[in-house]
Amino acid sequence: MSMKELFAPMKEPMIFGAGISILVGAIAIVVGLTYFKKWGWLYKNWLTTVDHKKIGVMYIFVALIMLFRGGIDALLMRAQTAIPENGLLNAEHYNEIFTTHGLIMIIFMAMPFIIGLMNIVIPLQIGARDVAFPRLNALSFWLFAAGAGLLNISFIIGGSPNAGWSSYFPLAGIEFSPNVGNNYYAWSLQISGLGTLMTGINFITTIVKMRAPGMTLMKMPMFTWSALITNIIITFAFPVLTVALALMTLDRQFGTKFFAMQDGGMDMLWANLFWVWGHPEVYIVILPAFGIFSEVISTFSRKNLFGYTSMVFSMIAISLLSFMVWVHHFYTMGHGVMVNGIFSITTMLIAVPTGVKIFNWLLTMRHGKITFTTPMLYALAFIPIFTIGGVTGVMLAMASADYQYHNTLFLVAHFHYVLIPGTVFGVLAGYHFWWPKIFGFRLNEKLGKSAFWCIVVGFNVAFFPLFILGLDGYARRMYTYSADTGYGPLSMVSFIGALVLAVGFALLCYNIYYSFRHSPRELTGDPWDARSLEWATQSPVPEYNFAIVPHINQLDEFWYAKKEGRDITAGQYERIHMPNNSGAPMWMAGVLFLFSFFFVFSVWSLVIVFGIATLGFMAYRSFEKDEGHHIEVAEIEATERRLRGEL
Amino acid sequence: MSKENKSVPLEYSTEENELKIFGFWVFLGAEILLFATLFSVYFALVDRTGSGPIGKELFELPPVLVETFVLLTSSFLIGLGVHAMRIGRTKAMIVFYILTLVLGAVFLGVEINEFLTYIHDGATIQTSAFMSSLMTLLGTHGAHVTFGLLWGSGILLQIKKRGLNAKTANKAFIFSLYWHFLDVVWIFIFSFVYLKGVL
Amino acid sequence: MKELFPKEHVMGFIGSLVLTLAALTVVMFKGMSNGVALTILIVTAAAQALVQLVLFMHIGETEDKKSLYITIIYSVLVGLITVFGTLLAMVWGYM
Repeated sequence: MSMKELFAPMKEPMIFGAGISILVGAIAIVVGLTYFKKWGWLYKNWLTTVDHKKIGVMYIFVALIMLFRGGIDALLMRAQTAIPENGLLNAEHYNEIFTTHGLIMIIFMAMPFIIGLMNIVIPLQIGARDVAFPRLNALSFWLFAAGAGLLNISFIIGGSPNAGWSSYFPLAGIEFSPNVGNNYYAWSLQISGLGTLMTGINFITTIVKMRAPGMTLMKMPMFTWSALITNIIITFAFPVLTVALALMTLDRQFGTKFFAMQDGGMDMLWANLFWVWGHPEVYIVILPAFGIFSEVISTFSRKNLFGYTSMVFSMIAISLLSFMVWVHHFYTMGHGVMVNGIFSITTMLIAVPTGVKIFNWLLTMRHGKITFTTPMLYALAFIPIFTIGGVTGVMLAMASADYQYHNTLFLVAHFHYVLIPGTVFGVLAGYHFWWPKIFGFRLNEKLGKSAFWCIVVGFNVAFFPLFILGLDGYARRMYTYSADTGYGPLSMVSFIGALVLAVGFALLCYNIYYSFRHSPRELTGDPWDARSLEWATQSPVPEYNFAIVPHINQLDEFWYAKKEGRDITAGQYERIHMPNNSGAPMWMAGVLFLFSFFFVFSVWSLVIVFGIATLGFMAYRSFEKDEGHHIEVAEIEATERRLRGEL
Repeated sequence: MSKENKSVPLEYSTEENELKIFGFWVFLGAEILLFATLFSVYFALVDRTGSGPIGKELFELPPVLVETFVLLTSSFLIGLGVHAMRIGRTKAMIVFYILTLVLGAVFLGVEINEFLTYIHDGATIQTSAFMSSLMTLLGTHGAHVTFGLLWGSGILLQIKKRGLNAKTANKAFIFSLYWHFLDVVWIFIFSFVYLKGVL
Repeated sequence: MKELFPKEHVMGFIGSLVLTLAALTVVMFKGMSNGVALTILIVTAAAQALVQLVLFMHIGETEDKKSLYITIIYSVLVGLITVFGTLLAMVWGYM
């Protein structure tokens, strides 16, 4: 491939502009870091960290950047379709944008945001000093970051994937998508997926093996439960994606015939594998949000969670059912009535445990003293909006009716009505809720609420019209339409809604800056008068999390101890063993990034070099002597006093 | 370093060791799904041979039987290795581990030879969907064995240099879990690819 | 020498050899129906897996055994759903 071809995407003015702004941004960061002499600080405190809280912050930081990348894609799509026969984007560019929008929002925004919150909160909620494998945790993050980087450079070098986020064959095959875009798709998902799989294993081990003494499974906070179930789904769903992507790579780059149109290949087998992973993936991003809402609703209703046991069992039911419904994504593919019937039933079944949870939240609030904080507002808005998403989901679940809805904007509206109130409201509620725990000050409530109203109103204005347009026959992924279809006015409404939504997210970010400048320092460690263990330690949380690991006798031990005036963190300090920082995860992910990058372009010599280098890192890790370090009692005492504001 | 617990075998003796063994079991759960997916693909494509050969024409049982007995024996030997480690017979353990790896290499040799025969007969990974899925399934298992050979050698090297301690014993034990697991996968390949294929 | 060859492991090894031979019967007896042959293969393969898991890998030797059983059973269950669901959707139920 010549240099000219390599940078062919830059011929498009909009992409050229974006490319230049990325370059300028990167130069600004490098110059800034050098000018303020912050390289050493950045490397020592952040890039090489194995601390779960810092890794969580980095996850969320990247997720927010990706939210803006994916959000700009979304705005461009709505702008292009706001009026009939618009010329803002051409068909090719539009294809690329809806592909990367989907990929980025699911894989590089929702997932890392959730994994970031799990990183920050889970060890604190179970009274652990860190996750089970801190080094592996850092590697997970860096693999995700490498995958995100790979996908984002695709639109400058070589071309973006453009066959939809589900990349169905034969369209995604080498015959119909000959450029490297879909190689980028396969490799960016592959390496970030490996990172996610490691996260799954890491958190299952952490939650099963590292809980504070006395905390039996049924005394765990609901968010921890949801994280356990989520990580089980991750661990058993992601290998399927790994295989599917590997087969895609083999088909595209080595001429195998898995999904080919000839020699016995079966194009729809890709769709099958993709959704075997893809449907559980939906629950991976939704269950932790359910956990967050459970925490938030119970905290701000000043009541314990209604139906704890039924919550747990409904999540276990969802986790198994989530593996049994995938065919509903391609009812119209042409299998028989029997197959569609079976998967219709399993799909509708999944609404039952979900409904149980909705009623549990409502009953938790009943007779409660509700305080309308920003996180609680998101939780309150979630319930009705998510129910609309759920009910339209049951409509789509009926196979025969689905022939009408399939591939229309009705479907697009449905999954946005599930994912935005579910996942996005969930992580935003969690983000506002746990922010003071990490940074030691609260986000401004007034700005938070303004952002909330923009987001809720903007969302509904942007997506409700899509239900109607979809029922009218507007097919998804069309880059334009003619005026006589009559889609124009509602599409314009939707675009206006998208703009309001964008204002909401801008306010959300401004709030960080504003609160950093103006919010008072939070010294109690428990600003919301909350229930679970993470609020028992200081804010910001010291490196070792708990100076004394508390003993747990019941669910919400911290809450009851507060009411009874007991201090569960009292005791004699002992020296604490902590893992050492390491740069290896970052460098290894960097090497894998290069490996994947050259694989995308089939530069085999360099693929071999970086492949061997990757094995070298693994060998280095195996032979390395790493005993960790100890934090002495004197240092713990000083830290605790400083965080209580006594020094 | 966390405290060592003397009442359990060396490989379980620290908290970190316990976590690693537990985590590895979870990883094996993920590996089950990896191979289950490859089997799904194989079963879906097994009759879609296009203009290429069908399994019955392709498979030869004698080398496959050699592979099976070699791998079963190596799995038995590494089990003995772990047992020797637990009763403190480090030398015997190292011998068992070396024999395990040697048999692993023999297995790999036979498998590579099998692949070369297929290719020689004009059936490559590009010939048909069936060949693609067959060679990918076998190749993934073979790649696991290859990685195991490298990994196992590295662990032996560490035991040689640093002796048997909580860390090296832990690694050797985890490696044995991996090796047994590969044997289980092979049994499924043996039964549902080869034997079913020649029925 | 004898202590290096515990009875459990030797029995397991003999068991796995016997099971392999049992599986081979499906190709030795030509008259066998496909259904019977497949049943033999499924039973012997599952038994082999159990031999490895229980006798060689000692899945039940620690306090975590309950979690480990759940992990393996869950993954096998999801694996079977994937295999049979794929067959159902892509082969048996395909028009």
